[in-house]
Amino acid sequence: VQLETPKGPTRLRETLNAAALALLLAPAASAETGVTDQIDFTTLLYGEQSRAQVVEPVVRAMRLFPDGQALSCQIGIDVITGASPSGALPSGSIETHTSASGRTIATKAGDIPLVKFEDRRFALDGEWTKPLNRILTSVLAAHASTEKDYQSLGASGKLSVDLMNRMLTVSAGAGYNHDTVFPVGGTPDGLSDGTVLHPGRNQKKVTNYYLGVSRVLSRQWLVGLNGSRTNESGYLTEPYKVLTIENFPRGVPAGELTDKRPSTRVRNSALLTSVYHLTDDVLYASYRYYKDTWQVRSNTVDLKYRHELGRGMYLEPLGRYYRQTAASFYTVGLIQNQPLPDFATSDYRLGPLQTITLGATFGFQIGNRPAEWTLRGEYIRQTGDSHPANAIGVQQTFDLAPTLNTFAVVLGYSFNR
Amino acid sequence: MMRSVGRIVGGLALLALPLVASGCATVKPWDRDLLAEKKMRFTPHPMLHAIDEHIYFSKEASMGGSDIAGGGCGCN
Repeated sequence: VQLETPKGPTRLRETLNAAALALLLAPAASAETGVTDQIDFTTLLYGEQSRAQVVEPVVRAMRLFPDGQALSCQIGIDVITGASPSGALPSGSIETHTSASGRTIATKAGDIPLVKFEDRRFALDGEWTKPLNRILTSVLAAHASTEKDYQSLGASGKLSVDLMNRMLTVSAGAGYNHDTVFPVGGTPDGLSDGTVLHPGRNQKKVTNYYLGVSRVLSRQWLVGLNGSRTNESGYLTEPYKVLTIENFPRGVPAGELTDKRPSTRVRNSALLTSVYHLTDDVLYASYRYYKDTWQVRSNTVDLKYRHELGRGMYLEPLGRYYRQTAASFYTVGLIQNQPLPDFATSDYRLGPLQTITLGATFGFQIGNRPAEWTLRGEYIRQTGDSHPANAIGVQQTFDLAPTLNTFAVVLGYSFNR
Repeated sequence: MMRSVGRIVGGLALLALPLVASGCATVKPWDRDLLAEKKMRFTPHPMLHAIDEHIYFSKEASMGGSDIAGGGCGCN
């Protein structure tokens, strides 16, 4: 998602636009046939303090058939602008960084350098749910998305079986994504000075497996346990991120090298979820453990409490806590005149960090229409290791992982016809 | 590869055993009024859930768990 110059493949974009038009012009439901259409709109407004802003409208149309089949189509557009950390270290003096497309941004002394960017992402998703018999249900899904420097095509399938008088449901599925990365200006070699750029497209293949069990424990309590495994291979490097070469022992930046990551990554995660009905209100809780072959480990706890206010209104406060360890090749910088490692990144998202989210969803109806509005507001606070033990010289005096405050608002509208 | 997949399946089976075997209590169909409500789904609002997942995927190193991984994104 970096840089400018809209050069993305236009054919896929045109296809997505045509699909969006077809979606909006879809024929109305027929009450006689028992077919129902459900239309959902959401719009995300996302703003990081002094960094990125995102506007993301999404529309989904779903047709529900009397035999239990459901067919859905979703169109989404992301408009992203702002700035993100380049990966470089502060220098102690005012710096100007220029992106590959020529836009520059001045960084104050002691601040981490940012690079401006803007992008648009168009995404199209389709899903078909079909009951195969009384206990077996299949779900097939397809995905396509395009950005100026990234394209993704994917498909997945899932099979669910209801057992023990529908007290237990076992699901298994798999998915495949073929992604293409084509950085603006070309692809730099990893751990190079970035001056030599290779034209062409880089491939990234993602295979995903999923196994899940959900169990009714009582009239009010439903729990689930899911496991997923994702194998990624190909170009997994972030082409626009850099690392600083530091003078030793003063820690003063002496140059920059490009980011370089391994070409394979295996991710595993286990998720335990619980939904408990308190005869009116509902408590949602989940815990996820994640680990991957880049040595990232994380724990996530998610809580929501839906409090019914009456007359179709509810308030749902939410909280989430996330903590991760750093990837094995994450470093704040490289020391000048030392041998280069095989892989290295200073991307803070692969460093040690924690995220705290607080927010609430307000659900309401307007008039007597069978439609639901939702308004969600979230505050997301992300912190890292501001003063890492391996910072040297002048870098020990800077905040190398400044707190990132983000506000997100999502407005949703859903109705049946 | 197959060995690690086997380990994961085995681990999940072990963790899931209490869920599968927990009591023999059966909730009769006529007692499933609460369970049938839309708000009793693991993700009552899939689109809000997808937006949150997209935000966290772009800002953190982890992903997955809740379902088959969705569409790719150059944001991370």
